Amino acid sequence: MKIYPVFLWLARIMAILGGLVLTALVLLTVISVTGRALNGVMHLAWVEALAGPLAQSLLDAGLGPITGDFELVEAGIAFTIFAFLPLTQISSAHATVDLFTSFMPVSVNRILMALWEVIFAAALIVIAWRLYEGMLGKMRYNETTFLLQFPVWWAFAASLVAAVVAAIVSTYTALARVWEMLTGRALLPEHGEVEH
Amino acid sequence: MSDFAIGLWSFPVLLLLIFLRMPIGLAMFAIGFAGLSWVTGGTTVVLSKLKLEAYSTFSSYSLSIVPMFLLMGHFATLGGMSQALFRAAEAFLGHRKGGVAMAAVGACAGFGAICGSSLATAATMSKVALPELKRNGYSGGFATATLAAGGTLGILIPPSVILVIYAILTEQNIAKLFMAAFVPGILAAIGYMLTIMVYARLHPDQTGHRDPMPWGERLRALLDVWPVLLVFLAVVGGIYLGVFTPTEGAAVGAFGTGLIAIINGGLRGRAWLESFYATARATAMIFFIVLGAGFYNGFLALTQVPQELSLWVTAQGFSPWMVLVLILVLYLVMGCVMDSLSMILLTIPIFWPIISALDFGMDPEELAIWFGIIVLIVVEVGLITPPVGMNLFVINSMDRETPISHTYRAVMYFVASDILRVALLLIFPSISLFLLRIFH
Repeated sequence: MKIYPVFLWLARIMAILGGLVLTALVLLTVISVTGRALNGVMHLAWVEALAGPLAQSLLDAGLGPITGDFELVEAGIAFTIFAFLPLTQISSAHATVDLFTSFMPVSVNRILMALWEVIFAAALIVIAWRLYEGMLGKMRYNETTFLLQFPVWWAFAASLVAAVVAAIVSTYTALARVWEMLTGRALLPEHGEVEH
Repeated sequence: MSDFAIGLWSFPVLLLLIFLRMPIGLAMFAIGFAGLSWVTGGTTVVLSKLKLEAYSTFSSYSLSIVPMFLLMGHFATLGGMSQALFRAAEAFLGHRKGGVAMAAVGACAGFGAICGSSLATAATMSKVALPELKRNGYSGGFATATLAAGGTLGILIPPSVILVIYAILTEQNIAKLFMAAFVPGILAAIGYMLTIMVYARLHPDQTGHRDPMPWGERLRALLDVWPVLLVFLAVVGGIYLGVFTPTEGAAVGAFGTGLIAIINGGLRGRAWLESFYATARATAMIFFIVLGAGFYNGFLALTQVPQELSLWVTAQGFSPWMVLVLILVLYLVMGCVMDSLSMILLTIPIFWPIISALDFGMDPEELAIWFGIIVLIVVEVGLITPPVGMNLFVINSMDRETPISHTYRAVMYFVASDILRVALLLIFPSISLFLLRIFH
């Protein structure tokens, strides 16, 4: 069974993609904030008096906040979160209360873990499927965003790709946990890469 | 079974599932899904709700602050800011009785100002401060207890991920909540330092001694801290003054700490990827809980449970203060087994309507802010309350020689300081609210 590294790799690729998009959103927002601040500076009376033509040409060149920056943040952050899900699935990083089950035998814990992972996979499959339906709806009505006027379904489509990967990785995790339950052998790390 | 009864029964079922180690977000999602299907007589409604709900939860502009703050915290660690903070605090406080422990608390407070999570603060500072504490002759129990308690400052001192979630749940202004948390956060740090002084007097054998550092070295250590100060002032100051939205502030902070980390050489290949992975795990975990809670609360609202419960409590004519204290005790107990975020998402939609219907002689906005700050603190006390507080386990596991019972014994002093502070904040709401009243 050498499938685990493949899925871990897939999950990590998604996390890196999500991280890059997140970084891009950070940069976008910082540029927008800076542009807005500079735009304010150029409108100050003494700047206009001191360097009127320069200030005006900078303003004409589009110095100011990025139009529709928050629309891009919303679209991008949705992709980011969906892209972060696979790694969270495969490393069992979801918040749990371990206190009571820590007193139960290993076999019971394996059964519970398998059960929850199967339900989780089912939930993520349903979520991806409904996201697809939601995207079809947005396509049908040609909905666009308010300022940038880009089709809303583009954002849905990006998220859908990540949601499908999440569903696939989660299905693998569920199968692996069931296999662990049946054979009594460990396949996945208990808590993946525990964060400290 | 009436809708109301279904809603009421869903709560113990949910708790049972969570105690059986079902992931908390998934449990809320599943119960919400099942409950909505039951109440609306089929899966049609809930499936069509799900078409947009997952996307709209994950694409929320105000929630995008969460991954940005998490990224900022990881960059800050990579940039060596935890070391710089601890060295500076130690240079000034280290020679006092219990001084190295005080320095650890001070550094935690400083790191809390650029990191929004409690466990992350505790774990990051422990890597730096734990070896130093033990080298200076501090007992393992006292050292781990100090760091576990110091970690809770991460969530109290803004920016704080949990306050963002609370603000969204109760429809309050994030900037105002951050402002209200500031003084209680500083108060917490001072309280912990006083606790350490008392502890050092009572147990002189457990706190080592160190010679004072020359002033030249102190000032040099202080010089290394300016990036942290700059980022904090830019982020929190900018948000307080309304220069930018909290999300923009988070972006500025992530950018600033990232830049510092690059300059300090901490952000290279592998480390960069690790910070993405860690941000990914924490972010997706939080957002799935938010999604699940949205589903569960949507279902509860449909069954009228929160409204009926709030009406019932008001009709009983209980004293508002008694209700408040009861709720806080419940938080304290739950805080011992559950993480703060899940607890806030699970309970605020039920408790906030109750509290807001009672008369505390405050306007609704101030009441929401004050209640939020106190709940935040009480939940954090749960994190360091023996025998199950989560911070205790994380920190204790980093020091293999110290049995957890030693940590338990020492941390009780910090818990006492916390409870004293909660009482103060309850009796004097203006401690949390006066900054707001000045600025707005």
